[in-house]
Amino acid sequence: MSDLWFGLIPLLPLSAFVWIGLGILFGFCRGEAGEKPTSLIALLFNLAALVLLLTFTLFSLQGRLPARLELFDWLHSGTVNIAVSFSTDRVSLLLASLVSVIAFLTMRFSIHYMHREAGYPRFFMILSLFHSAMLLIFLGGNAALVFTGWELAGISSFLLIGYAFQRNTAVINANRAFITNRIGDAGFILSMFLCIVWLGDLEWQTITTKAADLDTFQATLIASGFVIAALAKSAAVPFSPWIARALEGPTPSSAVFYGSLMVHAGVFLIIRLEPVLLQSPPLLYLLGMIGVLTALYGFLSGLVQSDIKSALIFSTTAQVGLMLLLCSLGWFTAASWYLAAHAAWRAFQFLSAPAVLNLISRPARPVPARLQRMHRLYTAALHRFWLDNMADSIFVRSTQKLAAEMKTFDEKIIVPLVSLPAQTGAISSLAQWEHRKESYFNIAQQYIGRGAGVLGKLMERIAGGLHWFEERMVLRSGSQELLQVIKRVGAYLQHADLLLSRPRYLWLLILATFVVIL
Amino acid sequence: MAIGELTLTLLLPLPGALLIACIPGDRNQLIRRIAILFSLFTLLFSWSLLGKFDPAAGLQFAEVHDWNSRLGSSFALGVDGFSFPMILLATLLCFVAVLASAGITERCKGYYVLIMLLESAMLGVFMAQDWALFYLFWEMTLIPLFFLIDRWGGQQRQTASLNFVLYTMGGSVFMLLSLLVVFDAIPNHSFAMSNFLAGAKALPQPTQVLIFLGFLIGFGVKMPIFPIHGWLPLAHVQAPSPVSILLSGILLKMGSYGLLRAAEMLPMAVVQLQSLLVVLAFVSLIYGGLLAWRQSDLKAMIAYSSISHMGVVLLGIATLNLAGLTGALTQMVAHGLVAGALFLLIGLLYERTHTREVTHYSSLVQTMPRFAFFTTLAFIGAVGMPGTAGFIAELHTLIGGFSRWGWIMVLLTVGVLISAAYAIRTVGFLFTGPVRSEMQSVPDLQRHEMFAAGLLCVGIILIGVMPAQVLNLFHHSASRFSAVFSGM
Repeated sequence: MSDLWFGLIPLLPLSAFVWIGLGILFGFCRGEAGEKPTSLIALLFNLAALVLLLTFTLFSLQGRLPARLELFDWLHSGTVNIAVSFSTDRVSLLLASLVSVIAFLTMRFSIHYMHREAGYPRFFMILSLFHSAMLLIFLGGNAALVFTGWELAGISSFLLIGYAFQRNTAVINANRAFITNRIGDAGFILSMFLCIVWLGDLEWQTITTKAADLDTFQATLIASGFVIAALAKSAAVPFSPWIARALEGPTPSSAVFYGSLMVHAGVFLIIRLEPVLLQSPPLLYLLGMIGVLTALYGFLSGLVQSDIKSALIFSTTAQVGLMLLLCSLGWFTAASWYLAAHAAWRAFQFLSAPAVLNLISRPARPVPARLQRMHRLYTAALHRFWLDNMADSIFVRSTQKLAAEMKTFDEKIIVPLVSLPAQTGAISSLAQWEHRKESYFNIAQQYIGRGAGVLGKLMERIAGGLHWFEERMVLRSGSQELLQVIKRVGAYLQHADLLLSRPRYLWLLILATFVVIL
Repeated sequence: MAIGELTLTLLLPLPGALLIACIPGDRNQLIRRIAILFSLFTLLFSWSLLGKFDPAAGLQFAEVHDWNSRLGSSFALGVDGFSFPMILLATLLCFVAVLASAGITERCKGYYVLIMLLESAMLGVFMAQDWALFYLFWEMTLIPLFFLIDRWGGQQRQTASLNFVLYTMGGSVFMLLSLLVVFDAIPNHSFAMSNFLAGAKALPQPTQVLIFLGFLIGFGVKMPIFPIHGWLPLAHVQAPSPVSILLSGILLKMGSYGLLRAAEMLPMAVVQLQSLLVVLAFVSLIYGGLLAWRQSDLKAMIAYSSISHMGVVLLGIATLNLAGLTGALTQMVAHGLVAGALFLLIGLLYERTHTREVTHYSSLVQTMPRFAFFTTLAFIGAVGMPGTAGFIAELHTLIGGFSRWGWIMVLLTVGVLISAAYAIRTVGFLFTGPVRSEMQSVPDLQRHEMFAAGLLCVGIILIGVMPAQVLNLFHHSASRFSAVFSGM
């Protein structure tokens, strides 16, 4: 019974999401009048989830809750069995409670911050979805369930970055962030596949306990997929630029996504996979290096920022880099404490940032003098170490070029081959329409029995040949000439009959008969 | 002498013909009503037999009366799983054809008398259990049809009717020869079908092959099979639309029905000629389809598509196994409904616009939405989309053929693809495109026309969605037929 109550925790914010969505669809959450019921629903469901979560945390602290709850089977295929299960160890529960508290505070903050914004219910709807996704990430008992949350978080971040979808930059940045995150998702899926192949299960418990049986190669391969996913989500070095672009969303959403919650999801994944990572020393070294690089990148870029939100986000990146470093050194517990403290602090900072701008009177501190003297480093920091440009030139442009070539191939070869209409039928003027109408009826006359494309031409040729055969052999020779032949034979017979009725031939016939008889 | 149910069904249209003959020729409405009434009687009576028909038994409702005992012929009627569905189809299509004959206003009296006579003769073909009687009814269908095409047809009606009669009679000669050879060869001289069935099997194989070839020509003309289909395009196009419904809906089925009876009788010959049948079936299938694709005349297109669809029937028969045969029988019913519906609808369109050129039409969906609905449905049925009767038929034929010949059956799907090409093109030309001013005032279907079209379309869908009942009707006869060949 209590298991099912636990299952409610991620479901509650999800129901708020569905409710507000229906409200937008059917109009009972729209406009300024709809603000109150919208925020009330979102807050209430959020609060309910929080209360439930705190109750369970209390149970857990008293030791009355097992470390894993399995509700029911979700998917079953061959030997693979994926359950809806939750990990209810203390780290998960405490961090999830923190997530809910921050989400609750952010929502409360947004009620006024978002007042009279277009798309007010949409904001709360996506925030509820995001809350549910984060709970799934922190509480999910197996990789599949966590992956569901992982994707939902990606989707909701995409939707919130593109919140002001009328602005072109918002749309571009939303796309960029989403696509960068998809690279990480690929790693996640690869690791899930390897887990199924080598371990036969996706439960965190199985993965962590069986990790000891894996050799270094297997452990490295499994862990590296998850680590790629974590680095992408936490905006560590090669993936960092997306998080600066993500600031395009409204400030409260920046707070929860990048400042405090989603950026830590990657670190949490790494903490969860501690035993697997420990099996693979090379990966730990790599992780440490990435952590250091991320910290330096965040620190240096943060120094040269001129607006408060960018400065905060780069500082966040630097802190995440330090957390990764802690993990790589094996101090996973320290990393999780660090994570919790940083999340709370950063949420406060982001939410108070708009107010801080109003309160401070002195100008922002200039870039430190030492950095000013190092021109190259300064330029690099200003350009955020050209990470975006590198990604552009390596991936984006080559993909664009490939796509352009594919398009050329399609237009020059495939389209004539199967004969698709090459252009769309858009018409710009009435005269054009009249012209097309005229030519439609002219073309229609010639269209029958005409094929286009290779197969169509083949069909046309064969049908043409058969038509010739039908006309010449079957219809003309078979039917009409048959009639001719019958007429001709009839004429001959009539002629013969006439001759026979003449007396001389009659006599001849009688004589012939006698000859035969005799 | 008691009159059995079948005799009653057979004779029911005749009093109608007699009554019409007695009425003054200028009372068109009354004549039409009587014709509708009597064809409805026949329809209801034949369908009421469905309750008594036992699908699990062989020959039923059998009745035998002496006719010419010195010659060995008798007036023997009876139905089994092959013929009973055909009788139901025939009475349905006759009723639909009479309903669709509102456009016939000249010499109305003669027209309806001939239609009633034709109905009776067609029913007789399917009911006869004696080859002499079969042959009699077979030839009897020719006379009303000749006059119907010759007097009420299109511009080339004389050529068409003459051609039709010449072809069919030419085929009948071969059929008669084969019948006489068998009659001569079997011990107790009698024309009864059961007697032929028992006796002909004992004949040596070369003789059987010759006899079967005779039957193949006789029935193949009617069906029609590829090289001897010359009468069909002209006759279908020139005949008045209701007669086209009967021609393609029932007359063609008489050919395949006869072929089934002949094949049952001469198993050794069929096995010997199996590959010939398959080749002919595939050629008919592709040939008819491609030529239908080339036609811009709507009726000619449907006529050629009939050749293609009857190719599927021949293919199903040629598989000689249960699945293929079930496919052939279902296709006979499906094609009867589909071709009937198409000729009906195109005929109604022709009455309104007096053109059969597909390119003269455009955007009819705006002026004739009901017509568009039924026609599109009928064309979908013609393609054999899942959910229509044609799909059940093609699927069974495919299964039967695949188990016999394997991948060659890809040709059947090519045929289906071609049929999709012309069906979709035609629907596109008729119902979409720019609006034409001369097509703005075409009236939509009236109530009785919708009723007729609806009957056929419901049949197409019903068999497609719930095929079990129909397949059940065939099953006993088809499994008996395939059992003959299972050991060979």
